[in-house]
Amino acid sequence: MELKDKIEKHLLEVQKPSRYIGGEVGSVIKDKSKIDVRFAFCFPDTYDIGMSHLGMKILYSLTNERENYWCERCFAPSEDFEAIMRENDIPLYALESLDPIRDFDFIGFTLQYELSYANILNMLDLAGLPVFAADRGDELTNIVIAGGPCVCNPEPLADFFDIFVLGEGEEVNLELIDLYWEMKQQGATKTEFLRKACHIEGVYVPRFYSFVYKDDGTIDHLVVIDGAPEVIRKRIIKDFDSVYYPENFVVPFTEIVHDRVSVEVLRGCIRGCRFCQAGFIYRPFREKHTDTICRETKALCENTGYDEVSLASLSTSDHSEIDPMLTKLIDYTAAERINLSLPSLRVDNFSESLLEKIKKVRKSGLTFAAEGGTQRLRDVINKNVSEEEIMNTCSIAFRGGYSAVKLYFMMGLPTETDEDIVGIADLANRIIDLFYSIEDRPKGRGVQISISCATFVPKPFTPFQFEPQDTREMIEHKQKLLLDSVKTKKIKVSYHDPNVSQLEVILAKGDRRLCKAIYTAWKKGCKFDSWEEYFNFGKWIEAFKECGIDTSFYANRRFEYDEILPWDHLDYLVSKEFFIRENKTAHTAVTTPNCRLRCSGCGVNKKVGRDCFC
Amino acid sequence: MLRVRATFKKTGRAKYISHLDLNRCMLRTFRRSGLPIWYTEGFNPHPYYAFALALSLGFESECEILDFNITDDNMPLEEIRDRLNAVMPEGMGIVSVALQEQKITAITKAEYSFSLVTDNAVKLMDDVNKLISGTEILIEKKTKKGIKTVDIKPDMEIITCEKTEDSVDIVMRLPAGTQTNYNPMLFAEALKNSGAEPFEAEKFVRRAILCDDDTIFK
Repeated sequence: MELKDKIEKHLLEVQKPSRYIGGEVGSVIKDKSKIDVRFAFCFPDTYDIGMSHLGMKILYSLTNERENYWCERCFAPSEDFEAIMRENDIPLYALESLDPIRDFDFIGFTLQYELSYANILNMLDLAGLPVFAADRGDELTNIVIAGGPCVCNPEPLADFFDIFVLGEGEEVNLELIDLYWEMKQQGATKTEFLRKACHIEGVYVPRFYSFVYKDDGTIDHLVVIDGAPEVIRKRIIKDFDSVYYPENFVVPFTEIVHDRVSVEVLRGCIRGCRFCQAGFIYRPFREKHTDTICRETKALCENTGYDEVSLASLSTSDHSEIDPMLTKLIDYTAAERINLSLPSLRVDNFSESLLEKIKKVRKSGLTFAAEGGTQRLRDVINKNVSEEEIMNTCSIAFRGGYSAVKLYFMMGLPTETDEDIVGIADLANRIIDLFYSIEDRPKGRGVQISISCATFVPKPFTPFQFEPQDTREMIEHKQKLLLDSVKTKKIKVSYHDPNVSQLEVILAKGDRRLCKAIYTAWKKGCKFDSWEEYFNFGKWIEAFKECGIDTSFYANRRFEYDEILPWDHLDYLVSKEFFIRENKTAHTAVTTPNCRLRCSGCGVNKKVGRDCFC
Repeated sequence: MLRVRATFKKTGRAKYISHLDLNRCMLRTFRRSGLPIWYTEGFNPHPYYAFALALSLGFESECEILDFNITDDNMPLEEIRDRLNAVMPEGMGIVSVALQEQKITAITKAEYSFSLVTDNAVKLMDDVNKLISGTEILIEKKTKKGIKTVDIKPDMEIITCEKTEDSVDIVMRLPAGTQTNYNPMLFAEALKNSGAEPFEAEKFVRRAILCDDDTIFK
């Protein structure tokens, strides 16, 4: 029986079958016989989540622009379909050809969040491949690679992959495939290919590196073999305005998480919030021109038929042409009856006329990522939001008819005291007072403040990479304190599970010794850890214990400034000296201005060889 | 304004698109086509279009009906067809486009074909005949008010029932439309419950959407 028939035989037994059969508008079908290199782009979560990922859309289209390469999509099946696949010997397959991915030249994963790591092992296993790279043999096919933000510390996954691609993939991916095709024709082995590939900037081949540890468990030194580079530098696109951007997306049948056109307006961030990994690993700040953004928006809307567009960036308001850009975009979307969604937009410095226009298109609620409860703590984390700004915007919003405000906070931030936790409740109370002090507030409705509290997870390549995470007991104390400080039903408080955050920090700051533990956890049945109904912390703890891993070594220990970090050999352009300087400044509760106001010397401009703003 | 009735097909991989998803899919198809489709004029204007009948997930059909309005009176019907076909997903396509003649309420039944695949077609054929020639065929139908037991025998019309080497192939008509809808899978269910030879029901196809006098709905 052909694989397609096998799949179809059982497809009506599962939830949302259209996720498993392809055929969507915009998906790229090619003639197999004319293809030289096949690439399976795998997202280690379900279709509904993976299909929302912008990076996949970009690299999918980019690779398929080349006639002789074929990039296809592959996602983790939900539990019901996985059971059917395993029962009926259906190997993991790609959605365009419905061919098993184990026959592909490249199997590429995107590492978007730590909690998807176990899914990667599960997908390799479903594909019928050994999960450890060392067990996959030295034949050239296939090469298992990964990219995405979590690659900035890939060590916990080092044993499973042949290659990690650091930074932006638009150029390096094709360079890598080109080299592969060239060497495939010469009959090269995997080792021969990897030896050459590791000299492409941005390409990290973990098997050429090994760590020697001290007695206390920290890293003594790194051993580099086979002439691989001592330091691997991430790739960036220098001319961002003219970088490839797809004119079409695959349009899913079933509803996905972000079911709309997404247009990237800028990359990098000028803000420098000290907890934010994205704010540092995507530097330098680069933006697209208004005309480029409008052209890409129009092409995508016309080709996909979506009636909703969202602007993708870390902080859209920081675009230097924000006013004319939004004016022009809104003129187009309004005429075409397209909804424009503007997530996390600061509205404080807009012109009156633009504000009027935004009001018309903006339907979402009012959300603030205040992150810290007191100004002191917000200064520590360099979150440059002042209470005055929050109050001003709330005041405008209440007058405009809003009566619900959502506030995001983190708990367990460096230097945090009980006072900062009580400060969260105080801030919410002052917003309630503000609401009732406004004469023309919305009538007939009370004000509703939702507080959402995440547990702080220190991440590599941030000034807080050295910081320990609060222990479970500390977090529970703070959660209780916050609940006790809230004395009105107008405030609703919700939390994240601190166990989830603990697993995140272990995987984020871990080293190569964790590979075994991830493997063990997966063997115990861990997968879909970002899904509440699947997350099983007990099994993870068992796995760490069995592998002799002390979780507090990674989660609750301060990493010293002069310690060799598991990611020190990876160069994300921002210097370690800068992170140390910023860490020290944080502990004195002093802020660092944003990059546009003053260069803080993170080192990116020197390495890129030009000013960030010219 | 042109009141258009399109006949479209939903075959191959497209049979896995649920009715809810089909709605969204059509909306995007219209937008891609750039056709001047008429929007409702209420508080929240949206393009107006309506399916005559919902097609069950997994069913194929080449006779599905989609109604919509085109604001350009002079647009040739062939152009509407071609522009939609140029942007349709794989497995879907407009078979023909005409102006609406009858009211949706004129639909009273539909014709379906399906296969009952089995190891023992002779025995299954007997079981099918037994069920058909009985006094009643009771099925459990989920309604808004809960599960209801219904006798589909009076409303069911067998067109053909043939035995092949490994299956029994059936064509039948069942009530469809704004009043009553019976799904042919219910017949397969009833057959299973009657203790018939084990089988797998597959290849469900809706072959025609019909009026009371057995003519094709237009």
